[in-house]
Amino acid sequence: MSYDIIIVGGGIQGVATAYELAKRKAGKILLLEKTFLSAGSTGSCAAGIRAQFGSEFNVSLMARSLQIFEHLAEELDVTNDFLELWQGGYLVLAYSQAEFDGLKERVKVQHRFGIATEVLSPEEVAYRFPRVNIEGIYGATYHKRDGHADPLHTTFAYGEAARRLGVEIRQWSPVTRILVEDDAIQGVELADGTKEYAPTVLLSAGAWSTALARTAGVDLPIWGEKHEILITEPWERVLDPMVISFSRGFYIQQRPHGSFIMGLPPVNPVKWYDPEEFDFGPNSDFLSRMSNEATHVLPFLAQVNVVRQWAGLYEMTPDHHHIIGPVDEVRGLWVAAGGSGHGFMFGPVMAEQLSKWMIGEPMDIDLTPLAFRRFKEGKLVVEPAVVG
Amino acid sequence: MRRITEHPILEFPERKVITFYFEGKPLTAYEGDTVASALISNGIQAFRESIELHRPRGMFCAIGNCSSCLMVVNGVPNVRTCVTPVEEGMTVERQLNRGVMP
Repeated sequence: MSYDIIIVGGGIQGVATAYELAKRKAGKILLLEKTFLSAGSTGSCAAGIRAQFGSEFNVSLMARSLQIFEHLAEELDVTNDFLELWQGGYLVLAYSQAEFDGLKERVKVQHRFGIATEVLSPEEVAYRFPRVNIEGIYGATYHKRDGHADPLHTTFAYGEAARRLGVEIRQWSPVTRILVEDDAIQGVELADGTKEYAPTVLLSAGAWSTALARTAGVDLPIWGEKHEILITEPWERVLDPMVISFSRGFYIQQRPHGSFIMGLPPVNPVKWYDPEEFDFGPNSDFLSRMSNEATHVLPFLAQVNVVRQWAGLYEMTPDHHHIIGPVDEVRGLWVAAGGSGHGFMFGPVMAEQLSKWMIGEPMDIDLTPLAFRRFKEGKLVVEPAVVG
Repeated sequence: MRRITEHPILEFPERKVITFYFEGKPLTAYEGDTVASALISNGIQAFRESIELHRPRGMFCAIGNCSSCLMVVNGVPNVRTCVTPVEEGMTVERQLNRGVMP
C-alpha cells in the first residue's frame, strides 16, 4: 500500500498534524502509533496551556494556540466539557526580586502579542487568590486565558476528526525502521515486518523519535527526561489558576473534574536517548517533595488525599524548543518533536503551521528557525520561562 | 439497633454508649464503632450521592480505599467514614457533592 504522507507517532503532535494536513487536502495519510493515541508524553502531561512564555517566538505561537483551543470544540465537533477546557489562568509566582524583574520583562513581550498578562504585588495575590500562601513571594504575573485542556480527550477529538476526513489511523502498530534509499524517504517498516510506502514521512514520536531517526542515519538531539506528576481526589472548585514557580519548579492546578494535578522536575535529571533506558517507575521521593511544596504554597491541600502518581518523559532539546520541519539530510523526512515539557500546549499551533509548511503554503508564524539545521548552524532559540 | 449479638467465635464485651448526630438527629453508637458501622447499626445505608448522577452511595470496600462512604464529619468533607472512629458529639452529614473546602 502506498500513501502520500506517513506520520509516525500518535501523540498530540502527530494526530493534530494529521488532521490539519487532511483539512488542507494533503493527500492519502497514514498515522502509525506504537500503542494507543496519547499514550506517550501527551497523555502523561499536566494538561496546562499558557501563553506566559518569554521568547517572542513562543509567545506568538502560544497566543495563536490559545485561540485555537478556544475554538477547538467547534472545529473538531465536540464540546468544551469533552476537551475539559478551563481558562482559570496561570499564576506565576516569583520567589526573588530578580525573578520578579525577569517575569516583568516577559510580560512586556506578552503584551506586544496581545497577551494581557497582569503584574501582581504579593498583597494583590493574597487579595485575589486568598488560598495562596504568599510567604516568600516578591510578586506574580497572571494571565486569565491560560489554563487547562485534557491532553487525552484533545488528542482523541483530533483523531476522530482526522478519521472523518479520511486519515487512516493504525494503533498497536510500532514502526521499527525508516526506509531510505539514495538519501530519499521510501517509507517505514513495522515490527511485524510489513512495509508501508510514502514519499514523505513525519516523525512525531516524542522521545522515541531519536532512535527511529537513527535508522535513517539522522542523529537528533532529543532525549527523554523523566518527570513525575500526581493527582488527588476531586473536590468542588476552590482553586482557579494553575499556580506555578519556575525557580522552585512546582506547578499545581485543579482540573475541571475537581482533582488537583501537580508536578515537580527531577532533582538529578538523566538524559535517555534509547527507549530501552526509559523508566516510568514511581518514586516516593517525588511524593514527599511534591507534598511539601504543595502544602507550603497551598496549605489547604494538606486535607486532600493523593490518588496516584505517574511518570512521563519530557522530550528535551538543547535549547528547550521543538525540532520541527524538514531534515536536510534525507529528502522527504520531516520531524515534529522535542516539545521540552510544553509539547501538548503547542500541539495545535505547531500542527496548523507545520501542515502549511508541508504542503508549501505560507506559514502565519514562521517555523523555519526551529528546523533541525539550527544545530548545525549554531542558531539556538532561547526560552527563559520553562520548568526544570 | 441492627447488631450481631451472638457469634460462634467472637465475643462482644459491653462498651460505653455514646451519642452522635446524623443530619442533626441524635443517634447512639458504641465506643469503638466507626462512623459507618454506627450509621448502619441505626439503619442508615445512604452515606453520600455519586458525583455525576447523584445516586445513593454507601458502605462498599470498608477498608478506606474506595471513596464510596465519604461524608461530611464535623464540617469536614471527604472523610472516609468506614475507617474513622465515631466520637461523642460528632456531627455527620450526607455528602451531596465533591466536597466543599472549609
